[in-house]
Amino acid sequence: MTTEAITPAPLPWEGQPYSIKRHGTTITNCDAEPVQTPGCIQAHGALLVLRQADLTILQASENVDRWLGSPATALLGRSVASAIGEGAAARLRELVRGEPTENNPSYVLTLEARGDAPPLDVVAHVTGGALVVELEATGRGDVRPAPDYYAMVKGAVAGLQATRTVRDFCQTVSGEVRKLTGLDRVMVYRFHEDGHGEVVAESRRADLAPWLGFHYPAEDIPRPAREIFKQIWIRPVPDVGAGLAELVPLANPDTGEPLTMTHCTLRGPSIMYTEYLQNMGVRAALTMPIRRDGELWGLIACHHYSGPAAVPYEVRAACEFFAQVVSLQHGAVEDREQLGYRMQLEGIHQQLVASAVQERGLAALTEGKLTLLDAMDAGGAAVYHRKQWWRVGKTPSEPELAALGEWLHQRRELESTDHPVYATSTLSRDYPPAAAFADVASGLLAVALSPSHGSVLFWFRPETLQTVTWGGDPNEKPTVPGPHGPRLTPRRSFELFVESVQQRSLPWKPVEIAAADRLRLLLIELVIDQAERLDELNADLVRSNEDLDAFAYVASHDLKEPLRGIHKYAHQLLDDAASVNEEQRRKLEALMRLTLRMDSLLESLLHFSQVGRGTLDLGSVDLDEVLGEAVEMVEARRTERQTDVVVARPLPRILCDRIRVRDVFVNLLSNAMKYTDRPRRRVEIGYLAPDEAGDRGGAPPGTQGHAVYFVRDDGIGIKPRHVEQVFKIFRRLHGRDEYGGGAGAGLAIVKKHVERHGGRVWLDSTPGEGTTVFFTLEGDPS
Amino acid sequence: MIARAAPPVLVLEDSDEDFDTALEAAGGARLANRVFRAKTGDACLALLRGEAVEQIHPGLVLLDLNTPGMDGRDALIAIRTEPALRHLPLVVLSTSANPRDVARCYASGANAYHVKPVRYLDHLLLLRAVFSYWLTHAALAQGPGLVS
Repeated sequence: MTTEAITPAPLPWEGQPYSIKRHGTTITNCDAEPVQTPGCIQAHGALLVLRQADLTILQASENVDRWLGSPATALLGRSVASAIGEGAAARLRELVRGEPTENNPSYVLTLEARGDAPPLDVVAHVTGGALVVELEATGRGDVRPAPDYYAMVKGAVAGLQATRTVRDFCQTVSGEVRKLTGLDRVMVYRFHEDGHGEVVAESRRADLAPWLGFHYPAEDIPRPAREIFKQIWIRPVPDVGAGLAELVPLANPDTGEPLTMTHCTLRGPSIMYTEYLQNMGVRAALTMPIRRDGELWGLIACHHYSGPAAVPYEVRAACEFFAQVVSLQHGAVEDREQLGYRMQLEGIHQQLVASAVQERGLAALTEGKLTLLDAMDAGGAAVYHRKQWWRVGKTPSEPELAALGEWLHQRRELESTDHPVYATSTLSRDYPPAAAFADVASGLLAVALSPSHGSVLFWFRPETLQTVTWGGDPNEKPTVPGPHGPRLTPRRSFELFVESVQQRSLPWKPVEIAAADRLRLLLIELVIDQAERLDELNADLVRSNEDLDAFAYVASHDLKEPLRGIHKYAHQLLDDAASVNEEQRRKLEALMRLTLRMDSLLESLLHFSQVGRGTLDLGSVDLDEVLGEAVEMVEARRTERQTDVVVARPLPRILCDRIRVRDVFVNLLSNAMKYTDRPRRRVEIGYLAPDEAGDRGGAPPGTQGHAVYFVRDDGIGIKPRHVEQVFKIFRRLHGRDEYGGGAGAGLAIVKKHVERHGGRVWLDSTPGEGTTVFFTLEGDPS
Repeated sequence: MIARAAPPVLVLEDSDEDFDTALEAAGGARLANRVFRAKTGDACLALLRGEAVEQIHPGLVLLDLNTPGMDGRDALIAIRTEPALRHLPLVVLSTSANPRDVARCYASGANAYHVKPVRYLDHLLLLRAVFSYWLTHAALAQGPGLVS
């Protein structure tokens, strides 16, 4: 096996003067084509190269015979007067002496028709020490009077000044150029950052298909062609099918150099270009650059389909002038529009921040009437804050976002303290997994809100391929192999185009990146403010817990102490029997009863306040044991009546807080024994397993699949309209001293205990027959 | 039975009514013991340390928990950490039934903890029982001062 060093193939024209006709180009070497020294002119005109000193003809285009009646070889070495006549030669001499002709083609005169030859415009300029004389039939001499181009350009420039947006501006440009030239289609073609172009404005003959919005690959306009548009203001190809005429000889005999035709109107076009135009049915073309700060911003491209279209010198001059005005003005319009976009971004971002502040959350950025997408030109946006995602528009999925977010945090860009911003139009190049969602997020703009919380804002831009209409139908035109190899055809153009826009979005503008960065600053305050608020709330909570402790303490001690004193004095007054009459005795007894009742209310309040606090102490608990303890505690308190406590079958062992569940039973048993008129009471305690049939007394939703416990009595019952009330603290249904005069906290305490376990409590009651209280606890039988 | 001198009782109590009840309970039990009162924890310690007009060597100290200045909880801890005083029987009588108070007092070395009943007769009976137990039935340790 041998390894061959790969060296570029030598160019076919290496070491000799280039001629389009002889060498041509293919798409593989068109970027190296010497377009400024093509060796050929467009065959619809003729060209002479003169020695500047004595106007001797040094070179002539091979077709000069057709226009001047003498073959090129016959003219070489002779004075120009022999070719164009004494009068014209004198005028030429005058011009060279008096006008700045260096690289500046100037109109000399129009040669009158001679024999078969039509009238010829003569245009001359000096380049590289040689005088270049171009002769072109432009239809002059027609009966039509020439339009007033000065007035037309003046009007066109005024139209430009009235526009506000770049789009309007470009639209005006296309319309005015079409008026000036009368060509079938005039487009404003804008170069994007990656070199590919887009038709941003168009003026066309009504019957032509619109190309507005079409995108074309960078390869459609090869680099040498772009370079030349930085030097010239106009490029006419008035007859695409006219063919080429080579210079005789190819090199200047005085210098040995090929003629630099940069400023020649007749400069021979690359075969790549003419074939491209012919494939699109274009018969004549005219192109002008739009430059911004010396760089090529775009082109004014004119196509004519109905036939060749001569562009007289005046029209060319008007177009050149107009292109220069366009270049100067368009920067101002673009700046104005950028400012407008910036104002829009800032305005909407500020509204978003305001509603985020109002709603105390970043959800306002994606969920409100206005969202991040109303400001930024993006396909989707997402917010990540406090381990939560909010999304709007087209974004990757949440798992994809999570992985992307993690990767992003490794990037140095987001670590920046001043500008933690990451912006790309080719995300999958930095982050290959993004290829999976390139359709929605080839472009990513991300700013970190708070590195400590990992909070990030994301904007996504779709793949350009998904958003643009491409120029050149891949199916319509066959590939055309040129005589020198494969040529750029619309089909080829499309394929190249797809390659160039795959997994690539439109770039983020500096104004957008700046706006994202400023939004970050506005939101940071909110995010930090939120964190501070949370801390404050926590502090409040701690304080209020402490307050509750203090309150409970006041209730239990400071309020009880005077009660004890009151009770004591009432008792002592009562003891002093001699000085107390019956009426006074009754009142003193009531006083003592009231102090005891107040004591019981305080005790219940204290108990209730403690029920909701502290953490659950969960453990495996034998409910039978707990019930036994509860029965003992209740019976110890009230022994005046007989109670039959019935437990039909042993209760299960479950996961719960033993003390709290015992308190549940104590309160329910105590109620069951309290509210009765019967001399002998019956209280039944039981449970129903999750799937067991049985009376659940209208179990509320959320209790299915859980064991239900119940305490059933044969007491006085509760009227349906009171059922809701009984679970509220201190809500009594009976007189203060009836049924043992409870405080009215029992069921409220039960409810709190049960709910802390995640369970529910409800009851079923028939007045006069009894009440069943049901409850669930989170723990199921184990 | 060994006859012993009747040691005084020191009651830390800021409520006049409650102190009154304690006196009544002592009188009802026909105790010969003198009853001293401190309204604050600081006064209580001053009496025990002899920093006041008179130094007393009580046979029993009753502590209310909520007193102005140094409260009963701190007085309890102070007595239990002072070598000359740590032998004293300390009985807490408080309005608070808070289990945390109960647990903390025992952990700090209280000999007993009682919740004061609101009902006057219950209160009186409780105090009589406490006096009767500690002053007539329980054997008390000698203070270090007496040993030396």
